[in-house]
Amino acid sequence: MKLRKSFDLAVNIFVNSKLRSWLTIIGIIVGIAAVVSIISMSLGAQQQLQSRLGSLGADILTVSPGAQRAGGFGFAGRDSESSSTDQKNLTSKDILAINSVSNVKEVMGTLSGRASVSYSGKTVNSYTIQGVDPSMWKDFNTETLTSGRLLQLGDSYSVVIGQDLANNVFGKTVPVNSRISIGGQQFTVVGILSNGRGIVMPLAQARIVLEDLGGDDFSSISVKISDVTYSNDTVTAITNKLLLSRGIFSSKKQDFSVSNPSAIQSTIEQTISTLAIFLGAIAAISLLVGGIGIANTMFTSVLEKTKDIGIMKAIGTRNGDIMTIFLINSGLIGLVGGIGGVILGSISSVAVNSLAGVSTTSASARGPGGFTNMLAGSSVVSIPLIIGAIVFAVLVGMIAGVIPAYRASKLNPVEALRYE
Amino acid sequence: MKGKNSAKSIEMEDVWKKYDMGEVEPLVVLSDINLEIKRGEFVAITGPSGSGKSTMLNLVGVLDKPSWGRVILDNQNISFLRESDLAILRGKKIGFIFQQFNLIKTLSALENVMLPMEALDILSKKESEQRAIALLTVLGLQDRLHHKPNQLSGGQQQRVAIARALANDPEIILADEPTGNLDSHTGQFVMEFLQKLNKQGKTIILITHDPNLKKYAKRIINIMDGKIISPPGKK
Repeated sequence: MKLRKSFDLAVNIFVNSKLRSWLTIIGIIVGIAAVVSIISMSLGAQQQLQSRLGSLGADILTVSPGAQRAGGFGFAGRDSESSSTDQKNLTSKDILAINSVSNVKEVMGTLSGRASVSYSGKTVNSYTIQGVDPSMWKDFNTETLTSGRLLQLGDSYSVVIGQDLANNVFGKTVPVNSRISIGGQQFTVVGILSNGRGIVMPLAQARIVLEDLGGDDFSSISVKISDVTYSNDTVTAITNKLLLSRGIFSSKKQDFSVSNPSAIQSTIEQTISTLAIFLGAIAAISLLVGGIGIANTMFTSVLEKTKDIGIMKAIGTRNGDIMTIFLINSGLIGLVGGIGGVILGSISSVAVNSLAGVSTTSASARGPGGFTNMLAGSSVVSIPLIIGAIVFAVLVGMIAGVIPAYRASKLNPVEALRYE
Repeated sequence: MKGKNSAKSIEMEDVWKKYDMGEVEPLVVLSDINLEIKRGEFVAITGPSGSGKSTMLNLVGVLDKPSWGRVILDNQNISFLRESDLAILRGKKIGFIFQQFNLIKTLSALENVMLPMEALDILSKKESEQRAIALLTVLGLQDRLHHKPNQLSGGQQQRVAIARALANDPEIILADEPTGNLDSHTGQFVMEFLQKLNKQGKTIILITHDPNLKKYAKRIINIMDGKIISPPGKK
């Protein structure tokens, strides 16, 4: 028998098997949908993590004032104007100290805080401001420009704004060369970044705008290192150097922290993949149940088709052909379930996306979104995922169908013909 | 030797068939069967129910193997063939006509008739289709090609089954109570058609308990309690 004919007969059985097949298919749909949405969500989370942490730069360490907090990582730390004032701030003396550590390439002190921002009659009361060294900033910035230029040596009342301010905050776009008012001072927008959510301006102007900071203090110090391989060693070296220069002799009294983005990145990646494995295991169990459902359906189907199998054997159909027909049949159940599952899974992850999208925009004024947003906010349904899920569903179907199909092929024709 | 063999359609030598019943004595269904059916014969195998007729059908139709003895079809001892080879042998050499018609309910008349040809995969799909249409036309079903079995009357279904039995142009037509589920008029049509096929050279083996059908056969083989009671060759 030609494979094509076996396929036709399998389709014939499938089309004529009505409700039972459909119930089985629903089982597969749910399993595959769970797998697809979980994988797409964790892929999305990983991509978002890459882009967010990638923008921090793996070769950039951040020194922040305040004792080391458990897992106090970058997102929250970036706009850590919350670091209490009674803590000893970072100063240019610290910058000098860090500069002398080996593997350190460049050190830049930054200021961050919040100020009111106005543009064309509208005012936002509290918006993230960052003060940087205009000549060095280009080495630390990892975001891309959509228009204009970065800050450069000699800039004073010039700012580079993030995409959020440029497009969303004022309800209209803020183009390059616009004049905006920040903390009562007039600034010219010289560039727009593709991503970020803040305003970047020269340090000297930031000191004017963010009044409550001392003359020589920095909110944080960014350190660019030469060789990322030794980033952990460099973190230790910087920590020791600062302890010494700040006159702290017990590491328990350490009043600053040094963050290492690449270490954070791997921690978060691990967390996400652990979560994905956990969710994936649940999805795998539902697929297993779906597979058992297929096997069950196939056993019933073979039983129901016993007479037909006998007839087909009587008129010359070989065992192998019978087996092929039933294998294709169970593969078809998997295929239809897989296609349905991919559709349902894509719909659900898009739905989760848009739900999360609402919450991220509302949270955007408060800074970068949290971990849950990351996991749910940007699921990625890719072509390889779709194809992989469907192929997997077909495989599950065929594996579940192997034993029933084998039994069908081994039916004794005499007994099968007698079956009613 | 070869000439002698080619005159034989099917041959049974010292055939026994028994079923193991576990702890009980094995059930002997057929014993000591010696039978030779020549090419072009029209043989009726008759006997009351429980006589072993159906087991004869299974052995003659190579659906089953004997427990003892030899069943020779197409010069091959079927005991030595694998199940898949038996399937091919059946497909090529034997056309089955059953009392219950045994059409596949989810396939159309045309697809049912094409199935034996597609199982053996000798003709192309188009050739199979043309041959199936020709056969169904001979049987007067040219306007029922795409009907499903449940849309056909009993007589029409049996005619589809006859067309299917002829699909691979087999040497032997094995008819098991072919008129059992038909009214007398349609039954007569079926029997006369079988007679016509016999005149065209096909070996017809009819299994029946109906004494009215005996008149169509050239030879009657009576089975009683698993034994042939009239010697082969004697009417």
